[in-house]
Amino acid sequence: MITVDALSKIYADTSRGDLLAVDGVSFSVQPGEIFGLLGANGAGKTTVLRILSTVLKPTSGTALVAGHSVLDEPERVRQKIGFVSNNTAIYDRMSAVEMVQHFGQLHGLSREEVRARTELLFRQLRMEDFRDVLGAKMSTGMQQKVSIARALIHDPPVLIFDEATLGLDVLVARNLLQIIRGLREAGKCLIFSTHIMSEVERLCDRIAIMHQGRILDTGTLTELRDRHQEHDFEELFFSLLSRHEEQAPEAGIAVAENQAISTAESMPKGRATGVGKS
Amino acid sequence: MNDESSPLANDGESLSKNRSKWKAVFLIYRREMIDQLRDRRTLFTVAILPIMLYPLLGMILFQVAQFQQEHPITICVLGKDHLDVPVPLFDGDGFAEEFKEGGKIDLVYYNWGTVKLGSSVKDETTRWIEEGRFDAVLVVPPEFLDHSARVSQDVAKIKLYYDVSSDESRVARERMLSRLDRWQTLWIRSELAATGVEETILHPFRLDEVDIAPQESKSAAFWSKMLPFIMLVWALTGAFYPAIDLVAGEKERGTLETLLCSPASRAEIVWGKLGAVATASITTALLNLCSMLLTSSLFFDQLSGDGGGVFSSPPLLPLSWLLVALLPLSLLFSAVALAAAALAKSSKEGQYYLMPLMMISLPLVMIPMLPGIELAVGTSIIPVTGMFLLSRTLIEGDYLIAALHAPAVFGVTFLCLGLALRWAKRQFEDESVLFGSHEPFDLKRWVVSSWRQREAMPTTAASYFCGAVILVLLFLARLSGGELPQDSSGFARMVLVPQIAMVLIPTLAFAGFCSLKPLRALRLHTSSVRTLFICFALGILFHPTYLLLAETVNTVYPMTDQAMEALQPVVKQMAELPLWIVITLIAVTPAICEELAFRGLIFGGLAKNGRNWGAIVVTAILFGSSHGVLQQSICATFMGLLLGVIAYRTGSVLPGILFHFANNAMSVCIQRLSESQFGVIDYIFTRSNESVGYQIWWTINSFGLGVSALTLLMRNQPPSHASDERNDANHQRNPSAAL
Repeated sequence: MITVDALSKIYADTSRGDLLAVDGVSFSVQPGEIFGLLGANGAGKTTVLRILSTVLKPTSGTALVAGHSVLDEPERVRQKIGFVSNNTAIYDRMSAVEMVQHFGQLHGLSREEVRARTELLFRQLRMEDFRDVLGAKMSTGMQQKVSIARALIHDPPVLIFDEATLGLDVLVARNLLQIIRGLREAGKCLIFSTHIMSEVERLCDRIAIMHQGRILDTGTLTELRDRHQEHDFEELFFSLLSRHEEQAPEAGIAVAENQAISTAESMPKGRATGVGKS
Repeated sequence: MNDESSPLANDGESLSKNRSKWKAVFLIYRREMIDQLRDRRTLFTVAILPIMLYPLLGMILFQVAQFQQEHPITICVLGKDHLDVPVPLFDGDGFAEEFKEGGKIDLVYYNWGTVKLGSSVKDETTRWIEEGRFDAVLVVPPEFLDHSARVSQDVAKIKLYYDVSSDESRVARERMLSRLDRWQTLWIRSELAATGVEETILHPFRLDEVDIAPQESKSAAFWSKMLPFIMLVWALTGAFYPAIDLVAGEKERGTLETLLCSPASRAEIVWGKLGAVATASITTALLNLCSMLLTSSLFFDQLSGDGGGVFSSPPLLPLSWLLVALLPLSLLFSAVALAAAALAKSSKEGQYYLMPLMMISLPLVMIPMLPGIELAVGTSIIPVTGMFLLSRTLIEGDYLIAALHAPAVFGVTFLCLGLALRWAKRQFEDESVLFGSHEPFDLKRWVVSSWRQREAMPTTAASYFCGAVILVLLFLARLSGGELPQDSSGFARMVLVPQIAMVLIPTLAFAGFCSLKPLRALRLHTSSVRTLFICFALGILFHPTYLLLAETVNTVYPMTDQAMEALQPVVKQMAELPLWIVITLIAVTPAICEELAFRGLIFGGLAKNGRNWGAIVVTAILFGSSHGVLQQSICATFMGLLLGVIAYRTGSVLPGILFHFANNAMSVCIQRLSESQFGVIDYIFTRSNESVGYQIWWTINSFGLGVSALTLLMRNQPPSHASDERNDANHQRNPSAAL
């Protein structure tokens, strides 16, 4: 359902030079599976997911979502995905129901379909209490639910959650994880990115550990534990990272976080791009 | 929750299917409109402010006018005892009956001896006015009583002291002067009567001015200038805040990414948002217009009573022509505002970007307010100004003239609209614009990293910056240059200083600082002898066309007689110099300096990433703008396009230098060539008393030959380094490519 092959992304930063945010990332995700992207802030998770949602274009490599290329058919891809991130806020001056229905209509759903889907989602996500509350007056948990309903309104086969639990309290975050499990049962293809290890352990079928734009290792939790002879997942994560840092100079990659790549001329020149978060 | 948390089962396909482009545009438009209507700030600027503004302004004006009429003025008369003259100015404690009218004045009298004067009368009265005791002081010296002194001696003059920096004092002066004037007239009359001379000697004939303009056109003339200005300024303002809110504001609130990952395409988003901004802009302009019309109809009718003068209520029906201008210009302003707002990361930053936009647009709206500016070929092709003048011409009822220029006006407006829309769409497709860094700008880090990362070719930004530096330096040089040269060495200085100091040196400096390989940055590549020869020939072949263009431009935008006269000494000085010096000054120097700057460094930076045609147009405009005189600028812009094409196709700056040299050299030599004794000369040139030109057959033929030669050049594939230096490796393999 999702196939990512040798994906790279370079941002041209006016003050620090070109920044290699994603470096040859490959993975695939099947329907009915939750794929976890785990990494510290700045590891390149958001960039990968933004490329999958077609908001950013890759510098090189390919990505197929539900059979459509993110480069050649971005609009088809956007119809197949629901994207929830802490960067996709909801409108302050629209109520929950208006917001969800607006996006349903943008997806080309008929009036009846929109109404039926909205009712179903509002019931399932327990949103009926605040259906007419304006976005600005909602709590973070309510806003997150509206975002999820917005992403699910067209019943997409692929769902992408980018740091979706960021800033949520324990109760709401737990509720969200439950919703995501429910979506897996419904046969959706899910990508879930986070920097919280316990979430990955509890939720994901397969995990990719990202650092400085690269996937250091990928597999199921058991596979990773066996391969690295480490039962404690947090220890596993840090030993992977430190091993990578030791090897990094030989691999020719700048080690320090966010450091500029100064060999600008040796890289292919894309359109000038720059992103604060990566 | 588990049983309920699995959403609709699906067959692996999403529900979206029947998306229609225009429906998406409408949905986005509708959402933005709802959003704006729920925003108090926007509602205030778009709707409430315009409705309240004019009644409030009217009220304040009304009160100020009343204040002005009723405000009492205090004037001190020093030396009232010296006013015992045949015609009295004062009667008892006030003015005599004949001088009571003309604004209220409170009088304070002092006899000459009763006031203890300090150092001098002037110092004392100055102190009185400065301290605010009186608004003006009228001093009547003792000598005034003496008839013979009064008419001839300075000491006997009446003096009126006032302070021009104080409003009250100026009013006091006006009121007093009008009374003194009447006093003088009355005095003359009484003297004439005493000597038995008829009063008619003062007025040998009578004059009556008759204004034939009917009342409607008088007010139309006033309102047709005033209302489009107000309407367009508000259309501009009305587009700003929604544009900032809909783009920069959404970025700030994080909702733009939500929209970007919806199935709506970038074009649909731009159209939807543009519709919302334009609606706000049109609404603001219309509400302002209505509120102003309503207020002014009531206000001016009351102020002018019987409707005399230009201040009468505006004619309503003709004003509907304003709508012709409003729709396209609102769309244009909205598109530009939307694109500019997209550059900003927050609402606050958006306001900084829109300020320069206002600065650029305002002059275009103000040009038509200048006296004597009418709808004509020249003015019709100026963006915004042309549309303004068209609607004014329609309001004034000159439908024929309006119809004549309408195609040009609409052509230019839609061209600008198209460009603005393209710009806006590009902004929405540009990742760096949409997700730009939120980090604060660090000058030192920026300089260090720019220096470390410079490549063979300068960046696009560096090119623009170099162009701007050259234009600003040339402008400052023109401002400080001032007078025309007196002799031929002065003439040489006038030509050489700007070319070398303002064009060449900045270009070389930019090439040195912004590029690893300055020679390549200047596009100094070898060209084949054939190419060089063709370009030199092109310069000669296109010269007649260039002269024809210059003549046409001079007919459309005629130079003033004053300007022509001012140029005469320069022409004379040029004629006095030996030909080779003139050629060096007029042909060689500009060809080298200007080409290295515009078709060398700037073109190279702009044509990066294959944007060759954009580079051709931009360098042509910059090149045109670098010429100070409007007529020259227009011709140079066209020439710049041709030079740009040559620069692109040949991949080097040298052919352009030869073309430029040949063209300028022909301009210098045409006079002497036409006077030479060769047989063919008379077939090519025409000579009249004032000027030398080409025979029309030669103009046509040379143009044809020129176009053929150009086609020959165009068939050349641009050399590898021309297509802009995209591939650095190529050059490293062939280091000898640069001279």
